[in-house]
Amino acid sequence: MEKLGKKYRFNQINIRSGKLIGLVVLGVILVLVPWLVRSPYHMHLLIMVGIYAVLAMTFIFLLRTGLISLAIAAFWGIGAYSSALLAMRLDLSFWLALPLSTIITGIIGFCIGYILVRNPGFAFIILTISFGMAIVHVFGTFDVFGGYVGITRIPAPDPIPLPFLAPIEFSRVSKTAYYYLMLFLVLIVVLALYAFYSAWTGRAWRAIGLSPRLAESLGVNLFRYRLVAFVIASAAAGLMGSFYAHYMQSLVPGAFDLFKTIYVHIYAILGGIGFAISGPVIGAFIMTIVPELLRVVKEFEPIFTGLFLILLVLFLPNGLLGLLSLRQRVERPSESIARVGRWIRAYLPTSRSEHENRK
Amino acid sequence: MSTILEVKQLSKYFGGLAAVSELDLSVVDSEILGLIGPNGAGKTTLFNVIGGFFPPTSGKVIFDSRDITGLKAHRIAHLGISRIFQASTLFMEISVLDNVFTGYHMSYKTSIWKRLLRMPSALNEEEMLRQRAMEILGFMGLESLKDELAANLPHGHQRILGVCMALATNPKLLLLDEPVTGMNPEETQTMIDLIRQIRDRGVTIVVVEHNMRVVMNLCDRIAVLNYGRKIAEGLPEEIRDNKEVVEAYLGKEGGR
Amino acid sequence: MELPLVGQLVVNGLSMGMVYVLLASGFNLILSTPKILFIAYGEFYMLGAYILWGLTQELELPFFVALCLATLATGILGGITYRLIFQRIEGHFLAMIVAAIGLMMLMAQGTMLVFGTEARGMPSLFTGMIIVGGIRISVERAVLIIIALAVLVGLHLLLQRTNIGRAMRAVSFNADVAALQGVNSNRTYLLAMVVGCALAGFAGAIMTPVFAVSPGMGAITFIVLLVVMLGGIGSMLGAIVAGLVLGVTLSFGQYSVGGGVAQIIFFAVIAILIFFRPGGLLGKAREEVPL
Repeated sequence: MEKLGKKYRFNQINIRSGKLIGLVVLGVILVLVPWLVRSPYHMHLLIMVGIYAVLAMTFIFLLRTGLISLAIAAFWGIGAYSSALLAMRLDLSFWLALPLSTIITGIIGFCIGYILVRNPGFAFIILTISFGMAIVHVFGTFDVFGGYVGITRIPAPDPIPLPFLAPIEFSRVSKTAYYYLMLFLVLIVVLALYAFYSAWTGRAWRAIGLSPRLAESLGVNLFRYRLVAFVIASAAAGLMGSFYAHYMQSLVPGAFDLFKTIYVHIYAILGGIGFAISGPVIGAFIMTIVPELLRVVKEFEPIFTGLFLILLVLFLPNGLLGLLSLRQRVERPSESIARVGRWIRAYLPTSRSEHENRK
Repeated sequence: MSTILEVKQLSKYFGGLAAVSELDLSVVDSEILGLIGPNGAGKTTLFNVIGGFFPPTSGKVIFDSRDITGLKAHRIAHLGISRIFQASTLFMEISVLDNVFTGYHMSYKTSIWKRLLRMPSALNEEEMLRQRAMEILGFMGLESLKDELAANLPHGHQRILGVCMALATNPKLLLLDEPVTGMNPEETQTMIDLIRQIRDRGVTIVVVEHNMRVVMNLCDRIAVLNYGRKIAEGLPEEIRDNKEVVEAYLGKEGGR
Repeated sequence: MELPLVGQLVVNGLSMGMVYVLLASGFNLILSTPKILFIAYGEFYMLGAYILWGLTQELELPFFVALCLATLATGILGGITYRLIFQRIEGHFLAMIVAAIGLMMLMAQGTMLVFGTEARGMPSLFTGMIIVGGIRISVERAVLIIIALAVLVGLHLLLQRTNIGRAMRAVSFNADVAALQGVNSNRTYLLAMVVGCALAGFAGAIMTPVFAVSPGMGAITFIVLLVVMLGGIGSMLGAIVAGLVLGVTLSFGQYSVGGGVAQIIFFAVIAILIFFRPGGLLGKAREEVPL
């Protein structure tokens, strides 16, 4: 049995002084961003980075339980559309629509997940692909969703009244309020995910992530844990979807198609799928900011994206963070991908149909 | 002496291939039963079926007077059957203590919310389980290695850790798949002693092994499999002198 | 609906269904043996069509020669793809899926850039119609269906009777055990990929006289996915049944409600079916393979 070697030491998620300082500095920078960044366009980019980072985090969260989901954008869309409809048809305030649409997305996640999670491995992947495609058609076909043209004029969040001060307005011009709201939502999701990853509640999840068969033999109900993960991932995506709807104030079904999910995957892999929270942030940041800086031509996009994907998995399977090994990771990050492979391998069909073998 | 596990007419086909064929087996409470046979005889498949990793094509498995045929692995674990896998299946990337701790998954009584909020009842339970884990590690001689990464352990210790994890689940029946394979004589003896001590604590054990000396030494009874069928069953001396058994082995591996 | 119309839809559906069967079989082969969820599969289908079009229209080669060349070319291309990309990431399922998606985007966009977006047609090979009870089948379609059937039978023989086929089946079952019996897994994976992609190219090529070719043809992958789910992953017989069923159903669906809604209905139906029968129509209920 190959040993990993003693140079990789396990770094428990204990807050050490170094980490604490780093987090504080990061927090300060994040809060000061609207003063540091002047251009509304750059603010927009940062907001999108936040949204995409969360989506990528949900992808990795599911990945850690052995599920490769291509329906990330679909649930993002469900959150967005349900929030828009709640606000526009039922005249609900954004502040009500946000939690409601998150819950709705979670419920739909439960229903869909209940069927899909029972079939782990390739079947799950194929089903999420089909679901992702079907959802886009649902958004496009039925008039209640505005058809392929989409919904416009979604109301912005109501201003937050403050004591003694002018209420906080959500304006698309300055985007400051939106930015802070985004930060807040991202923080909620990160804290929730962190709770699941930490040893206290996360032992079973960690076990599933490291060796599902062993976990099962210790009494872990794989289906139940995976379903819970699926619901949480869906709800988180729905949360960001609601935000997205009231930020962009218009929705088209095409924004939630499979390609969007692929981009989310790219962010996750680029950052490094061994890094559940920092990876997506890095990946989303680079993929959103760098093309802007380089002024990449948009017309050739799918070709370059395709090529980029292939090169990415061939030469950078550990992601950037894995390459830099900023933290002394427990495992060699390439093993993350290999592990996912082993999980799926456990659920592959064992043989062709009996019919063939009887012939 | 009561029967704790009964396998009735068990068959498992993979496509057209019979891995296990009409197998009948009884395991007596608190005994150590050895399961031997050439490679491919169906021993691991039998363990997989009993452990709930896949259902049999036909036949029944009865545990503690309860029909457990077709139940999923985690349900079977909850019922008290624990399994050590052939390869060193451990949680390699975490510490020895954490490995054993994970074995206590089924023992948690406080709800997930209390644990999330770090309430005192949850803290107490954590501490209690931690102590029990240390006890097991002490019993097996691994307590000094508690913070070591499982992957860094030598092979012999890894197998012992696997047994520790299984013990943490408080099993009634323990299925050991080749526990001493790859160990040196010293480690092998340690494992034999440990297995005996586990049995003395009231756990029934079924062992699959190729090391004949160990099997003869350790087991109360032995069952022999070949091509998915049971070809002999009885006391070690009876098996040793059984012509069919010798043939089966000479034909394949030349005996050990 | 009057009978001739129903019959016509059924026949159209069956002929399209044959294409699905071919594709699902090849897809299953790649899925079972090298265990790649080959999302770019539809692009090889498209490629086969374009190659055939090019060979017959530009180089004016006879149809059957072009058919063989197209099949060969896509097969070889599949093999090259395997060697260059998938062999290196073997076992890393996420990486393989992502690479397959990347390849799909590359090939789809590339074809669009080179050939433009309009569909291209080609003149019919055989003229004439067979009319049975008010249902019209062009001779062309009938011939193509027969050829497709022949290929299917050939595939079956390949898998059941030849050593290569047995190797592929053994490897799909358990690669490690197969290795113990002397099967070279890399070579087997390569061959499975070649055969699978050749099938896709073949399907695309025989389709060309009947339907036009366009860069968007690759999207057929998603229907193939549904076929595979319906018939059971890895099940050849399931692919046949599911392919034909889906072909006919889509034919009716296209006629009555249009593509988008049809997709939604399919997904819903298949989801419900999977709920009750996790293995699809003919697959077994999910079994876990011990690592």
